[in-house]
Amino acid sequence: MKIELNVNGKDYSIEIEEYLRLIDLLRDKLNLTGTKEGCGEGECGACTVIMDGRIVNSCLVMAFQAHKSKIITIEGVEDEDIKNAFIEEGAVQCGFCTPGMILAAKSLLDKNENPSEQDIREAISGNLCRCTGYNKIVSAIKKAAEIKRGGRNV
Amino acid sequence: MNLKACYRPLTLKEALDYLEEYKDKSKIIAGGTDLIIKLRKGNINPQVLIDISFINELKGVLEVGEYMEIGCGTTFYDLASCILLNERLKGLKDAARSIGSPQIRNRGTIGGNICNASPAADSVVPLLALDSILTLESKKGKRKIYLKDFFKDKGKTDIRDDEILTTIKFKTPTKNQGLGFYKLGLRKSLAISRISFSVFLEIDDINRIEIIRVASGSVGKFPMREYKIENYLTGRILDEDTLNTALEILEKDIYERLNGRNTARFKSIAAKGVFKKALLKALCLAKGGGKIED
Repeated sequence: MKIELNVNGKDYSIEIEEYLRLIDLLRDKLNLTGTKEGCGEGECGACTVIMDGRIVNSCLVMAFQAHKSKIITIEGVEDEDIKNAFIEEGAVQCGFCTPGMILAAKSLLDKNENPSEQDIREAISGNLCRCTGYNKIVSAIKKAAEIKRGGRNV
Repeated sequence: MNLKACYRPLTLKEALDYLEEYKDKSKIIAGGTDLIIKLRKGNINPQVLIDISFINELKGVLEVGEYMEIGCGTTFYDLASCILLNERLKGLKDAARSIGSPQIRNRGTIGGNICNASPAADSVVPLLALDSILTLESKKGKRKIYLKDFFKDKGKTDIRDDEILTTIKFKTPTKNQGLGFYKLGLRKSLAISRISFSVFLEIDDINRIEIIRVASGSVGKFPMREYKIENYLTGRILDEDTLNTALEILEKDIYERLNGRNTARFKSIAAKGVFKKALLKALCLAKGGGKIED
């Protein structure tokens, strides 16, 4: 069957198999391999993408359900503030959770540029990280929010 | 996987047409957060998927007279952030907010949570305490059934293979009424609930319990009403002695229900604490007073 969707600002019209999931479509058909598959059951959040403005697990959306939707993957995140803050705070270790973490952070900061620590922890509560212990990720998101609110020296 | 076709109807009528055509060869998919896992594990093997997530008439919350009516396609995120649901319904919002993770809440729907009939379905527990009524629709017509009569066994419900659950409705709580919810999980997010309770309470000025409905999750084959404790508490003045007797009744009832399982002792004792928290939350809301910390 054929579906139309917009991924990272680009329109696609693609032939897909019925059994394909959104993550398979992104990785195998569009070669956007920044989106990772961890558990395949919606527990780990490594496959997180933004679908019509909200984060979803791309392993728990069928590709045909993404018809006419707008998807943002890690490849489409142009926000340098979040990426730089993650690097500066040491929030990236093995890196497997990072694409999902950054999309969860982006989704939060798109709506709220002044999140509390609790807001941040809630926003990434669907994303597992086995390396950092989360504190560095939380600091990075705090820092990204500060940069967004006006400058590095806040 | 044996999938041959997937449909995305835009109206309920269209969806019912597909369902009438394919019946047990098909499965309805909405958010997909449970169904896709079952599909990939081979627990279900439909030839056809009917996606109802594009049907706008099945989404959202409506106030109809003294009832609140929730569309089956309403996501947990939409429910948790719905401004129509007032403070007295905090227990329903708390339950919606406690499900899965932000990603799951953005996709998962209330109708899916009911139809999957998991023993641990968190949103079902407060809906049971609200004595909700479900509307099931097929090409042949509509029928209504109380949620408390809908579950038949673990994962089994009363729905026919040509029917769609379309709405869930309950009476909007008014003065002296409140709905509390409390859940015991292993950790905050993505934890399947070990025990959950919801209490709907109407209480008068001298603390006499006019109406109480108690529902539990994860202490039986499916979420269920706790009639024994309801019967004991109805009409009594809520004080320490009454509460202690009620807790004993609950412990004994749940221990007998789970007898033979190695969690029976733990669950029957822990259930008392979880029930008590849900009750106190309902009490605070019924009294129009302050909040209780989790």
